[in-house]
Amino acid sequence: MCGTCGCGHDHEHDHHHEHRDPAIAVLEPLLGENDREAAHNRAHFDAHGVLAVNLMSSPGSGKTSLLEATIVALAAKGWRIAVVVGDLETENDAARIRSHGVPAVQITTGMACHLDAMMVHRALHDIDLAAIDLLFIENVGNLVCPASFDLGQHADVVLLSVTEGDDKPAKYPVMFRAADHVLVTKADLLPHIAEFRPERAARAIADLDAATPVSLVSAKSGEGLDGWLDWLAGLRAAHRTGKPA
Amino acid sequence: MHEAAIVAGLMKILERQAALHGVSRIGRVNLKVGRLKAVEPQALVACFEIFAEGGVAEGAELCVDHLPVRGRCGACGCDFEVKGYRFRCPRCGGGDVAVTGGEELYIESFEAAEAAEASEGG
Repeated sequence: MCGTCGCGHDHEHDHHHEHRDPAIAVLEPLLGENDREAAHNRAHFDAHGVLAVNLMSSPGSGKTSLLEATIVALAAKGWRIAVVVGDLETENDAARIRSHGVPAVQITTGMACHLDAMMVHRALHDIDLAAIDLLFIENVGNLVCPASFDLGQHADVVLLSVTEGDDKPAKYPVMFRAADHVLVTKADLLPHIAEFRPERAARAIADLDAATPVSLVSAKSGEGLDGWLDWLAGLRAAHRTGKPA
Repeated sequence: MHEAAIVAGLMKILERQAALHGVSRIGRVNLKVGRLKAVEPQALVACFEIFAEGGVAEGAELCVDHLPVRGRCGACGCDFEVKGYRFRCPRCGGGDVAVTGGEELYIESFEAAEAAEASEGG
């Protein structure tokens, strides 16, 4: 090939021919459609003064149990709550939430391993945002994919149960880096699981983001729930003052 | 496999852009993907081959530039590459690190099949 211009011919550079960069610049985000829909969801939340919190974790780490304990405690303080629940199949989790008198919309994703902003938007059609203060989005149990999709939430909370191992944050750094708060769940089982050292988990999380609060909680015993509820109350207060009344 | 959802977004962009620029067959697609996006380049390539079948990008090469995570220390201002997802300043040890790179996820450019062949040939 011609070393000067890369045009594919051997030739002297004394003639005229056109050389253009063959690449056509695009510079478009691959998840642009999702991001636009997420911004749209966030605008809906903000217009109604609703705080939206996205819960993520591996399957079986206790998202629904934590939600049940949380909505019972917050409802007693007068909070109005709704929940959007994502699972590949079944209505089980939504049914558990509804048993506490809280509206819940189940999104069954089929084969999709995460919620996206379009799915959440469709679910919002079944929720009266004017009638709630707080929306929980319980994402599909998965420590990889959900972190890539903005849903329009204001905060991300990641759960890590003591039965999973304290090295999970180091193994799934992107997910735990995304967290605004990490809840170490099933604390009531800690006496039976010597392998799990909360301080080791906290150190691994601090390596990802030293500012991320880490709370040890048990939905069963109630341990640590007050700190988590206070954090939510602080978030809600900040969200309210952050926009015009 | 969130890579499938990402590639589905890419295909929409390519179909639209190819029509806009009068390109009938795409030869190469250049992506920028940061390491904080939990997106696996090999999975992207595998999904791309399947999604591209029968469309304007069938047979095109997908080039993924996997970008490192970079941070800036809030305490001392040091700019550095974050290695092993350890968000600590290598100079002062501070943990207040703002991410300045690694969150990219976009298509940079594409090339028509003829242009890609010409730049490879010789």
